[in-house]
Amino acid sequence: MSISVRGVTKHFGAFTALDNVDLEVEPGKLVALLGPSGSGKTTLLRIIAGLEFADAGEIRFDGTDMANRKTGERRVGFVFQHYALFRHMTVFDNIAFGLRVRPRSTRPSESDIRRKVGDLLDLIQLQTLASRYPSQLSGGQRQRVALARALAVEPRVLLLDEPFGALDAKVRLELRRWLRHLHDEVNITSLFVTHDQEEALEVADSVAVMNEGKFEQIGTPAEVYENPATSFVFKFLGNVNLFHGRIDNGVTYIQQTATDHVVFVRPHLLDIVRQAPSHGNNAFQATIVHINAAGPLVKIEAQAEWGARVQVEMPQQHFRDLGLNKGEQVFVVPHELAVFKNGEVKETANS
Amino acid sequence: MDPLVAKIATWGSAGSVAARRQAATSESPLVKWILIGIAVAFLVVFLLAPLGIVFGTAFEHGILPYFRSFADPDTQSAIRLTLIAAVISVPLNIVFGLCAAWAIGKFDFPGRSLLITLIDLPFSVSPVVAGLVYVLLFGLQGFFGPWLMAHGIHIIFAVPGIVLVTIFVTFPFVARELLPMMQAQGNDEEEAALTLGAGGWQTFRYITLPNVRWALIYGVILCNARAMGEFGAVAVVSGHIQGLTNTMPLQVEFLYDDYQFVPAFAVASLLAMLALATLVVKSVVEARTEI
Repeated sequence: MSISVRGVTKHFGAFTALDNVDLEVEPGKLVALLGPSGSGKTTLLRIIAGLEFADAGEIRFDGTDMANRKTGERRVGFVFQHYALFRHMTVFDNIAFGLRVRPRSTRPSESDIRRKVGDLLDLIQLQTLASRYPSQLSGGQRQRVALARALAVEPRVLLLDEPFGALDAKVRLELRRWLRHLHDEVNITSLFVTHDQEEALEVADSVAVMNEGKFEQIGTPAEVYENPATSFVFKFLGNVNLFHGRIDNGVTYIQQTATDHVVFVRPHLLDIVRQAPSHGNNAFQATIVHINAAGPLVKIEAQAEWGARVQVEMPQQHFRDLGLNKGEQVFVVPHELAVFKNGEVKETANS
Repeated sequence: MDPLVAKIATWGSAGSVAARRQAATSESPLVKWILIGIAVAFLVVFLLAPLGIVFGTAFEHGILPYFRSFADPDTQSAIRLTLIAAVISVPLNIVFGLCAAWAIGKFDFPGRSLLITLIDLPFSVSPVVAGLVYVLLFGLQGFFGPWLMAHGIHIIFAVPGIVLVTIFVTFPFVARELLPMMQAQGNDEEEAALTLGAGGWQTFRYITLPNVRWALIYGVILCNARAMGEFGAVAVVSGHIQGLTNTMPLQVEFLYDDYQFVPAFAVASLLAMLALATLVVKSVVEARTEI
């Protein structure tokens, strides 16, 4: 099932949560709505689910306008940030709820419900906990029960609001891989909200970056990471070094006195050399002030000649070959510059 | 230091490591026992002694006179009337309390805080004033008086008046118990139920209501205790007609003023037992809600 969002606007009093946004989700895709808190992503998800109403614009499922459809009629599976499990019901009853409240004519028999819930418990690997209450489960288990409960009604669309937001780092990592596998298995059109760029890039087929009620960029994880459309996207998706610069005859120069352009360089695209490079227009002198060699990448902090700190990341092997020390005078060479003016990409140039 | 105090102080610090560790986080034994002593003395003087006197006086002449007190048709009528008032007002307050707490706890609408204030009104108004208001409204000289008179409807100095003031006085009990619970629980579970295809009534019946059931039971107990025990407001509208419009608390007053001490305290003991039963149910309910 496809979802299309057209021209949706939503105000809360004087605050504009969504400002004329458009989004197309193709059938069977897993799309991430990524943005900082307050960017409108949860509001959009709730409008799609019918839990909130847009002031303007329309939501279509497979081309059918959902304006007059109640939440229950839209057949969406919604997974809430804090799970919203029914606290007075067992895991089994939680998952069975959506089937049991159906009108008698479409309600499955109790034995069918039992089989269905059993299958879902297998899927979330919690067969042994069917008679537990939500308060007796861990966060990760609750999240999986919430997902199974949403899937029980065979939704046409799965909507997840910060599905891993309340979990600790390790469980989070496991669960998001599990979600990816699950999605590949049941292949249901899914939309999930997150403020964690790593999560969005790892799990989603497509990432929609939101800021202040608008989409900044929509594309595959590789697209948005490699070719950020705006300076916001560049800054939001990973660490970045910021320089001032100017453009002369199509060539970008890093120049601290320039004011018309902003130049972004990711830490792993900065290299460190001992000898001043002959052709490098943008190499600059710096002093190493801190080295963090724990992990697959060595993180080096250096102070540029004009006083600002820059972050450099390099593989362990390269670091060992160079044999860098704290306090050493070196040259920093940027490999790829992203230049922005008024928030738009002007040019990506190699120096 | 006083030698006794010093001696008491050493009790706490001597002995095992555990005892010493405990001493670091608690008051000295002297302070502890003084505070406990004050609390116990207070309870005895203000709660246990009166309770003892109620039962003591009721059984002063043995068991038979105690039970003979309830053979009086006027007393039986008073008990019946109290039960009628409770049976009508408690269910109405359950319905009202659920509606009000649900609306206030789960939705935001203009006039919300005004509604909260209105619900609390019976707490802040003296019951006697409440009774008088009903007399001014429905009494013979009152606003609706002539119309009611013309249609032969009796409210003041009759059973309907007693029921009306009882409802007024017990108005906040159920709503006040439910409100904090409903507000704390938020709308998440209800929204989840809606997305799963449940209708409004199903959501209320299977999600909202079970989640507040212990608060509801507690509210009903308090509401019932007040409905049966109300004196001031009922006294104003009742007219004290023996065997017709006297409730239990009014009957206690009547018998006492009539120097019939055993029957007076026998009826009072029923009300006291109601209070004790309320306390028992309350502690059971509180133990359940902690899970």
